[in-house]
Amino acid sequence: MTSAARHRRNLLIALSFLLPNFLGFLIFTLGPVVFTFGAAFTNWDLQGIEPLRWVGLFNFATLASDDRFWIYLVNTIYFLLGMPFAIAGSLAVAVLLSTKIRGLVVYRTLLYLPSVTSGVAVMLLWKVLYNPDFGPINHLIETFLGWLGFENAKGPAWLLSTQNLFALAVERLGIDPGQFGLGAREAIILMGLWGAVGGGNMLLYLAALTNVPKELQEAAELDGATRWQNFRNVTWPQLAPTTFFIVVMGFIGGLQGGFEQARVMTGGGPAGTTTTLAYYIYNKAFTEFQMGYASAVALVLFALIFAVTLINWKFGNKELNY
Amino acid sequence: MAAENIKGERARKFAAHVTLWVLAALSLLPFFWMVLTSFKPLAEVESPNPFPTEWHPENYRLVFEQVPFARYYFNSVFIAAWCTFLVVLTSSMAAYAFSRLHWPGRDHVFRLYLATMMIPGLVTTIPNFSLMVRLHLLDSYQGLIIPAAFSAFGTFMLRQFMMSIHPALDESAEVDGARPWQIFWDIILPLARPGLVTLAIFTFMGNYGSLFWPLIMVKSEALRTLPIGMMYFDSQYGRQTNVLMAASVMNIVPLVVLFVVGQRFFVKGIMLGSVKG
Amino acid sequence: MKLTFAAIGAVLVLLSIFAYRTLPSENTDGKTRLVWVTDNNPVRAEQVALFNKLNPDLELVIDPANTDQQKVIVQSIGGVGPDLFDTYGQESAEAYVASGIAWDITDRMLEAGIDVPKVIWPVAVPSCVVNGRVYGFPCNVNANAIWFNKDVFDRSGVPYPKPGWTWEEFIETAKKLTIRDEKGRAKQFGLYWDFGATRDLVYQHGGRYFDPTLTRCTLDSPEAIAGVKLSHALMYVHKVAPTPTEEAALSTQGGWGSGGITFLMSGRVAMAYGGRWWLNLMRKQKGLRLGVVEIPYAKDKVTVGGARCTFVNKNSPKRELALRFIRFLASREYNELLNDQADALAPVMEYCYTERFLHNPEHPEEDYNAVWREVVKNSVPAEFCPFLRGGEMEPINTQLDLVRGGLKDPELACKDAARNATARIRRNARLIPHLGRLYRERTGMDP
Repeated sequence: MTSAARHRRNLLIALSFLLPNFLGFLIFTLGPVVFTFGAAFTNWDLQGIEPLRWVGLFNFATLASDDRFWIYLVNTIYFLLGMPFAIAGSLAVAVLLSTKIRGLVVYRTLLYLPSVTSGVAVMLLWKVLYNPDFGPINHLIETFLGWLGFENAKGPAWLLSTQNLFALAVERLGIDPGQFGLGAREAIILMGLWGAVGGGNMLLYLAALTNVPKELQEAAELDGATRWQNFRNVTWPQLAPTTFFIVVMGFIGGLQGGFEQARVMTGGGPAGTTTTLAYYIYNKAFTEFQMGYASAVALVLFALIFAVTLINWKFGNKELNY
Repeated sequence: MAAENIKGERARKFAAHVTLWVLAALSLLPFFWMVLTSFKPLAEVESPNPFPTEWHPENYRLVFEQVPFARYYFNSVFIAAWCTFLVVLTSSMAAYAFSRLHWPGRDHVFRLYLATMMIPGLVTTIPNFSLMVRLHLLDSYQGLIIPAAFSAFGTFMLRQFMMSIHPALDESAEVDGARPWQIFWDIILPLARPGLVTLAIFTFMGNYGSLFWPLIMVKSEALRTLPIGMMYFDSQYGRQTNVLMAASVMNIVPLVVLFVVGQRFFVKGIMLGSVKG
Repeated sequence: MKLTFAAIGAVLVLLSIFAYRTLPSENTDGKTRLVWVTDNNPVRAEQVALFNKLNPDLELVIDPANTDQQKVIVQSIGGVGPDLFDTYGQESAEAYVASGIAWDITDRMLEAGIDVPKVIWPVAVPSCVVNGRVYGFPCNVNANAIWFNKDVFDRSGVPYPKPGWTWEEFIETAKKLTIRDEKGRAKQFGLYWDFGATRDLVYQHGGRYFDPTLTRCTLDSPEAIAGVKLSHALMYVHKVAPTPTEEAALSTQGGWGSGGITFLMSGRVAMAYGGRWWLNLMRKQKGLRLGVVEIPYAKDKVTVGGARCTFVNKNSPKRELALRFIRFLASREYNELLNDQADALAPVMEYCYTERFLHNPEHPEEDYNAVWREVVKNSVPAEFCPFLRGGEMEPINTQLDLVRGGLKDPELACKDAARNATARIRRNARLIPHLGRLYRERTGMDP
């Protein structure tokens, strides 16, 4: 058998293994992506109320002047603010667990439970926990405030409140001091932290920590480094690839996130404060069936994720060379 | 000096245990509250006392009486099981081609394929949904299962797994005259079993809790999955927080059991998924 | 491994057989099944039962989970649409017609001797007649008045409201009936106010959402602003009605259910603005003592009325059979049942001018049916602006939502709403050819 013939034969065999997956990939991933690129330039509306036609950049122009798009973009970014805290928390837990502590498996199981059960059931649970008048969270807060002497103080209205820690105005881009406080966005971020700190990222850090060469730490200790210095100068750089991975995945997931929370817990409200781009796309595409416009928003989101990932790569690579 | 060190070490360990217990308690408190509330009578739901004064296990029965909860359960498990089966099958075949077979351009193709994992799901759902409309697959089991039967992530994960199997194994089999399909079924798959189980657990859990796709595809009550059913339950009957919590408990229990039983695979899968390709 | 996969595959196939066999089947004992997408109101069961009794060869079933207009359209295109579906006003009627799934039944109804626009309440006509063609028939017709719970009034020693009262009298009454605890949490509200009824207040002040050509939003007119201001003031100035936050906190737990009906029944509110159909639920609570009085009017004696109409799916293979249901909606049997059930008012006018309508022998306590007939008679349909397609009321709704949430001054919101909506109308007219033609036709100007 000639080498060319063997190549061809190998290729055919490989193709026969790849066929089912690639077929699925073509039909349900590649085809749709190409389709979305096209659809974003049409007035496509599944209800067929208007005849289908090309509208050029109309959807993108609409989007640029669509206040809601920008407000929801800000919301989406707002939710990313939970990420550094979630990562720091995961790292801290992983460090605690990596100290050859007894009962590692027990702790790991208990801490991981919130992230394994995430989903509609747990969101419905949190919705009840956050009830401003009867929920246990506010009950605890109000009891605590009572101890401090604030007898009639009320806890935040959580999912019913438009307030936020950055005093972002409602329904417009800007600042409104009256909006300072704890509201729906913080409630969702806190719930996210609950689910994330003990989750997959913690496991990744735990694995990475066990791979940090002991000699390096011992050498640093001999040089008289404190624990913190040791961590900062020896361990942290060793964790850089893991951190990089977590950050990249965090951005990719975070930028397209927020759908379930909005759908299950808040309906995107109050006053649109918990509507993210993902939920906006869902509403445009699957409740209003304005597929063309929704495709345009999805493309912008895609571009955004792409750009952020590229920036991460550049920035991250520098860190790695450090 | 040494004694002091040991003392300090003990104190640190103690502090670590305390911290971890506090964190574990924070993780579990919402679950406790959920379980306790699920046994409360309706009148006590607003009460600040987390414990029911009288226990009402019939809340669990009420769930089944008020909605076809058993059907939701069945649908979720049934659909997730089919998706899992197909994903494991298609992914392991593709992973085999990407890891054990040698063909020109293999690694380039793989890298390109991998890059598609970055595409946000939302970009593909719009055309996929319209495809389902055209094929008249709205509101059908096929429409729920088929688009979820292929996974780039699964291929990636199993490839990592298969790469770590020693190459001598299939080479010697090849010398003995085994065909690629024989090697795949009889040598590689058995060796990749932990990987298959890991992928199966992940896929099952992911589809069991999946909300978006069923939400836009399902029309009739008979096809609702648990997440969809729970959502309607919340909007239609949800003022009965105790019964809602009973439904939530039943929703979560299979996940907890699966996680505790398959924990070993779970941890491994998360590690594998992150190793850079 | 092959064996494992084969075994799992076999189990899944068996499960699939079970799954498909247990799906609800299409035909039951030789009857043809018709699916009607409508709301899941308990009274619907009796209406369906009456139809099925009169048509023994058919089995009408309702599908309450898919009432969204867009869903109905897309499902019909996807081949899983219903045979019959409901519309809720001119906008949804026109959308269904435009999407091509509404069946033109003008001639069929005339053949059956039913001149639809003549026999039904005028307020219902735009909901089922589009461009002079008939596409459906109303199921019921509704307009709102003030319900009051006599027990709550008696408890507080406040006299019952009288017809012809003024807004000052109304607010004074409502204030006396609002009770708050030391934390400021209300135990009882004087009024449950559905902010959607803001439109009623705008109309009774003489305002409208759009000008007569429907090319300009007029929410910034002094009349319209006065209406929105009043709606806002009920919650935030006089504080006699729960704000959205107060309402959500009241209703999310404890089994009370939400909305004015349950609040009124449980005595958490003294009055609520709603329709006759509320009796669907309220009759279930025996011993509830209720009264009805017209809302105070500012300038015009008018409310916003509406009708739920049923259309036939043009793409349904069973549309001829489905048409029998439409004729049923015009029948004496149906109309009398509906009035007896108090599912709002019967669609055919003449059946509302009977002794049976005024005094239901089974419910002698309901002595207020003349009020309902009066408000429906005086009601007008909500305007529909053809330049704001498919839910593009957004510029207006956004602003009204802000007012509802107490987040924006009503006057400012009205002005912003009018400006944004008018801009949206112009833009759509510029960009969409047929809207541009319509715009020029109506205004004689270019958008």
